[in-house]
Amino acid sequence: MEKMTLSSKTREAQSPTEKWMRYLGFPGGILLFLLILFLPPGAGLSASAQSGAACFALALVWWVTEPFPTYVTSLVLMFLLLVTRTSNAKAIMDVLGMEVIWLNLLAFILSSMLVKTRLAKRMALWLVVRFGHKATWALLAFLVLQLVLAPLIPATAARCVMTLPLMIVVATIYGSTEATPNAFGKNLMLLNLACISVLSSITMTGSSANLIAVGLIQNMGGHRVYYMDWMRVGAPVAILTMVLMWILGQKLLFRMKPGEQVPQVEGGLDLVRRQYEAMGPLGFQEKKAIAIFGLVLFLWMTDIFHMRWFGVEISAPFAALLGAVIVLFPRWGILSWAEADIPWHLLIFSAGAYAGGLALDDTGAAEWGVRMLFGGMNLKGVPFGLTYTVVVSVMMYSHLLTTSKTVRTLIMIPIIISLAKALGWNPLSLALPAALCIDWVVGLPISGKPNVVLFSTNQFTVSDNFKYGMMTCTIGVLILVLSGATWFHWLGITPSFWAVAP
Amino acid sequence: MNLMRMLLILLLPAALAAATRIESYTIQLHASPEGRGQATAILSLSNCAPGMLVVPLGFSAPEDLKIEGSPTGVWLELGPRNGMTSLHFHFPAGMPANATLRFTFEVKQVFQALQLAPGEKSTLPKGSRIFRHAFVNTQETPIGTYRLELLFPEGFMAQAIREQLPKPKKNEVGSRVLLSKTADHQAATLQFTDLHQGDDTSMILELVPTQRSIGWLLAGLLLGGVYLIKFRDLIAKGRPAPGA
Repeated sequence: MEKMTLSSKTREAQSPTEKWMRYLGFPGGILLFLLILFLPPGAGLSASAQSGAACFALALVWWVTEPFPTYVTSLVLMFLLLVTRTSNAKAIMDVLGMEVIWLNLLAFILSSMLVKTRLAKRMALWLVVRFGHKATWALLAFLVLQLVLAPLIPATAARCVMTLPLMIVVATIYGSTEATPNAFGKNLMLLNLACISVLSSITMTGSSANLIAVGLIQNMGGHRVYYMDWMRVGAPVAILTMVLMWILGQKLLFRMKPGEQVPQVEGGLDLVRRQYEAMGPLGFQEKKAIAIFGLVLFLWMTDIFHMRWFGVEISAPFAALLGAVIVLFPRWGILSWAEADIPWHLLIFSAGAYAGGLALDDTGAAEWGVRMLFGGMNLKGVPFGLTYTVVVSVMMYSHLLTTSKTVRTLIMIPIIISLAKALGWNPLSLALPAALCIDWVVGLPISGKPNVVLFSTNQFTVSDNFKYGMMTCTIGVLILVLSGATWFHWLGITPSFWAVAP
Repeated sequence: MNLMRMLLILLLPAALAAATRIESYTIQLHASPEGRGQATAILSLSNCAPGMLVVPLGFSAPEDLKIEGSPTGVWLELGPRNGMTSLHFHFPAGMPANATLRFTFEVKQVFQALQLAPGEKSTLPKGSRIFRHAFVNTQETPIGTYRLELLFPEGFMAQAIREQLPKPKKNEVGSRVLLSKTADHQAATLQFTDLHQGDDTSMILELVPTQRSIGWLLAGLLLGGVYLIKFRDLIAKGRPAPGA
């Protein structure tokens, strides 16, 4: 509990299935790569897009089956992107300087500060003493925490970073470590992962991609979407989905053994309480850590005022950078560089994943995939409900094809607006529900910035993430379809599900 | 002088009302493996009036320019070649208001010549071709839709679209350049709508032979095979637990 080390070791295969997956994953990835690379050139797909898709498919198979550590797969992917001429050397290398990589690095310096000063331990012990009589309530406490933070801090990575130390310590209390992850750890990390992304869709200011979608709906669809218009449709869907995932995660996906449902420290909850009381009042170093973290938090929360106050916007990584400077400052700071626990293997994994994702976007492979999904369907003359279900499903699951919410929004929303117009529906009836899916980037560790950060805890595998993410998206689609037929219809956003356009 | 101005002001709306409008301007350029190109262009016009219509071509040195289909009496000549070649169409009296003009021409060198200076490193693999095209509407006549379709030589595909300008506007769906495939050929289409005087559009494509190197197949199969042999122990029964 005193340390927060993220090991670079590959998790050992547990079951015979996992062993076979690992054994066959390597040649399987190569076969898929060759299959896509040697497919006849498709209409609308350039050679670089085809090779980019081949490289990404190989990496995806290897990340899921783990014949190598994930960061080695990332290095292989970066090399393949170069030698297949999918991306140039500069584009690949520049990824290591991306905002998300810097935010990861700086976040771990701040997390190390919270761990060293034992502030993370204090907060985690308090949380467990207060809500942790049963693991299920501890999980619910995190859901509520993310729900409160979502409207306050739009940057998902920032929200993830500030709650990460708490997650790690609470997971440890319930016996889930990076070496021996258990079902509680999986539930905790994946519930937070989903909450951080999905709850961003509560408000239209939850992410910049939401605002882009609102702009597109206004400019292309001719409908202005107000803050409350978005919230009254977005909030119920997002909150209800996450409450259902809180239940289904424990009951269906990762069932917790009886032993994992209570704190797994010797002496049980009493010992946790005694440990909490033994910590005494806040120490000077802890207060200093609160002040530094408070400053960073303040900058994250007030980013819309920065231009007015300072004449420049201090973005999330730069706010964290300022915090890191103070933390590492000689004499007045809290940490020395050697004490900062920076998981370089995670940064390499992230760099490779983003290089692959960007290659899909830049070469047009992602856009091509989306067009193929819509182009293959004839939706003329079908009831609105069917068109609505198809649009929402494609939008929801398309996050698996691209790592950028902005790119996905810019590709998909104009297509959906044009589709609505061509089919004779009000553009708002399809575009707004589709826009609510923008932030649901929960399917893979590379789908979003928080996913990358949380994957580094080694508490869950790529396939765990995929299972949890797909269930979240499927429940989201079901709720959106149900809402489209009832709630959105009563609000005048959607026509009757049985209506057929003239 | 004042009388002249008055006359101009009075005549201007009438002149504008009578101005020929280019509804669409489509060029299909079929490139041969040797690098020559055969182009077929179609101009759809409305509000035609007798006189001259100047249309920018977008290719600097066309050869064998011929009108293949037009109303009777229309004739065509190439305009001055000050960097931008223009087509000068002469419309006779009694020109129908709506007309379609079809003309053909040849392009001697479709692809950019890749010449390396001594000691200079090539940045493109052997067999690659670069196609550059830029079109500027130099005339006051607006163009409804400009479309250039390049049919690739047989056995070539697009490696990448290096440039496609201008970026799509907010109300445009999709990319400026679209790749497609006909029965035998791959093609790239540059499309831009509503070009006013001074508006321009361009694309740069890199083409490569369709055939992929067999080296990928050999290396992939070899690696996969060696792994299956050397890592058999991963699935061996009774494999000792790590650290045991």
